[in-house]
Amino acid sequence: MKRIVVVAAMLALSAGAVVADQNQVKLTQAQMKETGKNAGALGAMIKGEKPYDQATVDAALAKFEDTAKKLPTLFPESSKGLKTDGDYSAGPKIWEDKAGFEQHIASYAKSVTDAKGKIKDVDTLKAELTVIGKQCGGCHETYRLKKG
Amino acid sequence: MLRRILFLAGLASLTAFGVFWWLTIPATVAASALPAYQPNLANGLTTFNAGGCSSCHAVPKQDDRTRLGGGLAIPSPFGTFYAPNISPDPNDGIGRWSEADFVTAVMKGTSPSGTHYFPAFPYTSYQHARVNDVRDLFAYLKTLPPVAGKVRDHDVPFPFGIRRNVGVWKFLFMDGKPFVADASRSAHWYRGAYLVNSLGHCAECHSPRNFLGGIVSSQRFAGGPNPEGEGWVPNITPRGLSDWSVKDVAYFLESGQTPDGDSAGGSMVRVIRNTSQLPPTDRDAIAEYIKSLPPVEGPPKPVRKADKTDPS
Repeated sequence: MKRIVVVAAMLALSAGAVVADQNQVKLTQAQMKETGKNAGALGAMIKGEKPYDQATVDAALAKFEDTAKKLPTLFPESSKGLKTDGDYSAGPKIWEDKAGFEQHIASYAKSVTDAKGKIKDVDTLKAELTVIGKQCGGCHETYRLKKG
Repeated sequence: MLRRILFLAGLASLTAFGVFWWLTIPATVAASALPAYQPNLANGLTTFNAGGCSSCHAVPKQDDRTRLGGGLAIPSPFGTFYAPNISPDPNDGIGRWSEADFVTAVMKGTSPSGTHYFPAFPYTSYQHARVNDVRDLFAYLKTLPPVAGKVRDHDVPFPFGIRRNVGVWKFLFMDGKPFVADASRSAHWYRGAYLVNSLGHCAECHSPRNFLGGIVSSQRFAGGPNPEGEGWVPNITPRGLSDWSVKDVAYFLESGQTPDGDSAGGSMVRVIRNTSQLPPTDRDAIAEYIKSLPPVEGPPKPVRKADKTDPS
């Protein structure tokens, strides 16, 4: 009887862990989506579809910074291979090449910090977003997969 | 009777072999076909960026796009190719090549020693380039730093590894026709069409391929499974880009940013590193042409296998 309880408890725990990790995947995707949305708002200003708006820029930079802070914890080992919604999934290289991945995060964080206080108009926005955008692409090149 | 059958069989196979041999003779461009010409280095640089040379030939894992020592592994269903050294190094690169060697390589897919290149080198697109663009490119490449080091051999198993067979492939999938202007369209549109179909070689990844590795022409630009392995290459006909404006496409080629703020990933990141260096008018032209394509439905995406939910 004792044994059954222990086994059942273990099973419940591990099932709970999977649920928790699945939840992490959801949170991670939401964080990345929100980051992209902010970048999209900046892109619209650069393309001239929307007038330049400092509040939007500041909000986006705050989001980028928030993402930079959270990125090191967004892809725990336990979330490896878990199901994702939408077109993308985390690539296995995140865990195979941890050092490289962390280096990319650091370089993204630096680009966001460097941009702070520098963006005042469309031209400066374009200059800074180009640098930050390169960091996004540089990481997605290797560590994100487009699903079939 | 038996001797007669054997004789006929022998004759038939000889003829077949002769046809095969004749069909698969690597095409070349003779030096005499290239009149005297003063190359334009600025256009060579534009050609270099439009052609995406550095995407495959730059030494991997470093940031200098002009160090063309090669070495990048290009996986495919037929084996793994390794991009060769095309830096001006005289021993390991193309330092000793003549201009005709280079034009032949790029536009005919034939090496200076007279063998077929594998079509991982996108000469099926480059064949449509203007000869002078290719000559300018050659002059530009000569100005780049030589990089020492030969790249390892391709890892392409039998029977795909037999280069002579590539001649048959070329016969099937290489039309050899120059790219012609469409009089009903603007010069700007034509420039875009030219860049996309020749130097830009967009269709090479953004089209499905048949079992022989040839592009399915009815579904050109309609995307398909990633030939390099995992994932899916997007449909870039208006069927796939319906909510993108011409400006969105041009901005994407400049910044790698999609209209919803996402950024390009995978091999497209390397492509953006090139297109971001193009003159803005060229990006606009590419965008105008891409948006003018007929909408085409791509191959159906495979039903997703039940994704793993167990982390073990």
